[in-house]
Amino acid sequence: MDRSATRQLLIDWLDDNYHFGEAETLIPSDDASFLDNGVLDSLGFVALIVYLEDRFRITIDRKSLNRENFDSLNKILAYVEAREGAAR
Amino acid sequence: MSLAGLEMVFFLPLALAAYWLGPRRAGWQNAVLALASVIFYLSWNPRLLAVLVAAILASYGAGAWLGALPTEGLPEAEAGVVRRRRRRVLTLALVAQLGLLGVFKYAGFFADSLNALLGAVGIDGALPILRLALPLGISYTTLVQVGYLLEVYWERAPACRDPLAYGVFVGFFPQLLAGPIVRARAMLPQYLVPRRLAADDVAAGAAALLLGFTMKAFVADWLSPRVVDPVFAHPATFATRTLWVGLLGYATQLFSDFAGYSLMALGTGRLFGLALPENFRHPFLSKSLAELWRRWHISLNTWLFDYLFAPLTTGRSWFRGRTGAGFLVVFLVSGLWHGATWTFVLWGLAHGVALAGHHAYDGFYKGLCRKDRAWVARRKSRGYGLASWVVTQLFFVLTLVPFRAPSLAAAVDFGKGLVGLGGSGRLAERFGLQAAAITLFFVAYHLLEVGPGPRWLQRFRDLPAAVRGVAYGLVVAFLMVYTPLGASTFIYAQF
Repeated sequence: MDRSATRQLLIDWLDDNYHFGEAETLIPSDDASFLDNGVLDSLGFVALIVYLEDRFRITIDRKSLNRENFDSLNKILAYVEAREGAAR
Repeated sequence: MSLAGLEMVFFLPLALAAYWLGPRRAGWQNAVLALASVIFYLSWNPRLLAVLVAAILASYGAGAWLGALPTEGLPEAEAGVVRRRRRRVLTLALVAQLGLLGVFKYAGFFADSLNALLGAVGIDGALPILRLALPLGISYTTLVQVGYLLEVYWERAPACRDPLAYGVFVGFFPQLLAGPIVRARAMLPQYLVPRRLAADDVAAGAAALLLGFTMKAFVADWLSPRVVDPVFAHPATFATRTLWVGLLGYATQLFSDFAGYSLMALGTGRLFGLALPENFRHPFLSKSLAELWRRWHISLNTWLFDYLFAPLTTGRSWFRGRTGAGFLVVFLVSGLWHGATWTFVLWGLAHGVALAGHHAYDGFYKGLCRKDRAWVARRKSRGYGLASWVVTQLFFVLTLVPFRAPSLAAAVDFGKGLVGLGGSGRLAERFGLQAAAITLFFVAYHLLEVGPGPRWLQRFRDLPAAVRGVAYGLVVAFLMVYTPLGASTFIYAQF
């Protein structure tokens, strides 16, 4: 899956579960912090981890399970790409 | 010795003088902190210091052992063997830490409960009851050490190679009594480098100490003997209105006592150039229980979230994705952590069920939002916000009945009285000026977080140091007139 398609899936997930069409407007840039911009709280991060593992068939190990690793669109995209690459 | 006690007026300056006037080396500074912490501990219970030291040595050793077994860069077959060895080391270390807590804190409770159960089927006094003195701060130091061990095990933090720094990280005296529960990644690096004396740290530390002491001595210690203790001692005899005053008084006392303690710990830490984590963030503004637990006793709740809730609900067990079930487990553990009694279990269960219920409601409401965006706007309206705030705060305050009541029977009496099924007694004393001042102080503290509050606070912080100094001096003068020198012990120290 290319980067823009993965990005769209993430936006759709955020809209479907938290922001109902406003996710894009909440995120000023792909590097912007989810926590600082009220995109996801701590419970949302846990839901995001389960979603990423199930949707992209990756395993997020405990070492990587830091909020900082998933705190922006670009960080998530980079992580998913790296894990998908490693799985191939 | 207590952070709010008279002895601290002499102890703290001496410790600060030895810390800042000695060599500017991490080793010296940690040695001063270790000595100060040992003296602090000895002033409470000299015999149980050995338990704390043994626990620290055990977790330090286990951390070093884990650190000596890295998996990175190993071929998969070899990594598998090392992983199994790491798991065994972690299990052993956790059994030792939690076992110690279990023996000292829960052995009596479980034996009592089992005996009661066996008594119900005709077997009397089957188990001997072990009543041990609880080592000071064991509930807090155990969580600090378990958190450290998990971080090292998951390779998210390096093992500490400096036993003195590690010992101070676990047992630094301001956090020893009642937290905040510190984390390895944020705190250990601070102990490994020499700390520098900065004017900002001194000013912020002194301000936090002063605010914390005001909350403890002026608010909590005033409310406790006049309003809270009499009402909770004989709830069945008091009128409904008096019980509500007592309950709201307890909510204010508990918050002021614990947030005051936490601020004093933070302030003391800052005076030593150390940044301890924030423990309270205006919790009475919360509009949901989840938000409230992100603002109340933050260091405990983030600990439970990171080391229990998140692994449980993202792992491969039945709990995966089951947020409601995760809440139930976390709050039952939280209840038991607060104390080995059925009233705390009931309190934890009530919060777990309420959070699970709110999560289910949230899921339902999101379904409405997906169908019609008007529901999103409704949720953002003032009316919805106000209703959410009322329901959240009311629930939180009501659950303080079992939290504070000495027994389940007393909690039931209190609950009946709250709905008009109690007595008609009133408190003997009438409260005027100080009750109004406490209410004003409590409201003003929370308003600092909303509207123009943060801007006003920043304006005060930007004032010249001399002006702020005069303001602090006036607060000290006020406290000297209105509060006794040296406050009582802190509520959370019993946990």
